[in-house]
Amino acid sequence: MNCEEFAIAGLDRNLDAGGLEFAGAREHLRNCPHCAALYESSLALRVDLRELGQLTSDATAPSRVEMRLRQEFRTRHTTEKSRGRVVVASWLLAAATLVLVATSLVLWQKHGQVKAAKTQPSVAVTAHAVANGPELGGTLIAENDGHEFALIPGAIPGLLDDTTVVRVQMERGSLGALGLSVNEEHANDVVQVDLLLGADGQPQAYRLPQSSN
Amino acid sequence: MHIELQERDDVLLKRSARGDEEAFTQLYRRNQAQIYRFALRMTGHAWAAEEIVQDVFMTLVREPKKYDPTRGPLGAFLYGIARNRVMKHLERLPREFSLEVKNSEGEAMVLDVADERTPAHWAEIRERRERVRSAVLSLPPEFRETVVLCELEEMSYEEAAQALECPIGTVRSRLHRGRALLLAKLEMLREAPKRANAGS
Repeated sequence: MNCEEFAIAGLDRNLDAGGLEFAGAREHLRNCPHCAALYESSLALRVDLRELGQLTSDATAPSRVEMRLRQEFRTRHTTEKSRGRVVVASWLLAAATLVLVATSLVLWQKHGQVKAAKTQPSVAVTAHAVANGPELGGTLIAENDGHEFALIPGAIPGLLDDTTVVRVQMERGSLGALGLSVNEEHANDVVQVDLLLGADGQPQAYRLPQSSN
Repeated sequence: MHIELQERDDVLLKRSARGDEEAFTQLYRRNQAQIYRFALRMTGHAWAAEEIVQDVFMTLVREPKKYDPTRGPLGAFLYGIARNRVMKHLERLPREFSLEVKNSEGEAMVLDVADERTPAHWAEIRERRERVRSAVLSLPPEFRETVVLCELEEMSYEEAAQALECPIGTVRSRLHRGRALLLAKLEMLREAPKRANAGS
């Protein structure tokens, strides 16, 4: 074994503990003072390194590192949990809003239909109620503000779209022909009357303009 | 035993990823010392080692899925992260190293030995130890980490290869080269005072 071979095969080994496999290296040590000195230095270095290792063999991270890490761990997982809750809550809120909007839309549409259906009868009922009041004279004028039509007794209210308003002058007594009760003392008075004619040309309602009161 | 430990590490890490703080604490306590020692011996600074340990385990908190159990034990994975952090630290402070290993309070750590030998003898031992430490810290990082793991941490070649993610042959050759460099440096350090005395 030469010096180069010894440096590769023997320098890093514990030749004293080895068996026959290191016999060549041991033989070289006996014959080469340079390699023997190098080997001694190598052994001393390993002892020194081991001592150096032992010096810090019990070293551990300070407890504050663990505390900081646990705090970070808690913060992180709490944040993740609350983020999850926020996401779920957001989805629930969005779903609830959607349901609310849909319900409102449906109700609004239904309400619109009902209102449209109720609008005409209410006019007719009001007119009917007024028309069914006492006799035409002062009482009728007091109940009729001159802007609303009163339903003629016996007339069937139709759609407002098909009606026409006609202003005529007639004797108050002629109103009796429309089924209205007339005070006999004023039967000859000429009055202006707005008649609401239906699609069939028949009067459905009447109105006494302010001027004829 | 080794496989059981790995499986347990796996289980603990899964629990930890689900928010189990106790599992995380167990993992930390099981692995922190070796990472701390490695960082301390590589950097020579307790504060740097502390930062590195914190970084390593912070990665475990933030990205537990980075660890792939099929690629090796958790310890090797942690060593890998620690090595990266150490290298970054050494890049920042390429020339700075301490002759003394200091504890977290900044006090020098001394070997507590009850012995009847003389103070002069202990002064000599202390001086020699400081020379060795300074020589280790002045090694290039790739040789330093091999020396730290195999000589100071007393890992087997196989364990060191796993931690360093390199073949066993590479560990052997780096260690051989590292020792040769250390011997040369120590020889230089030993000769320097003699030259200084001769000069005066």
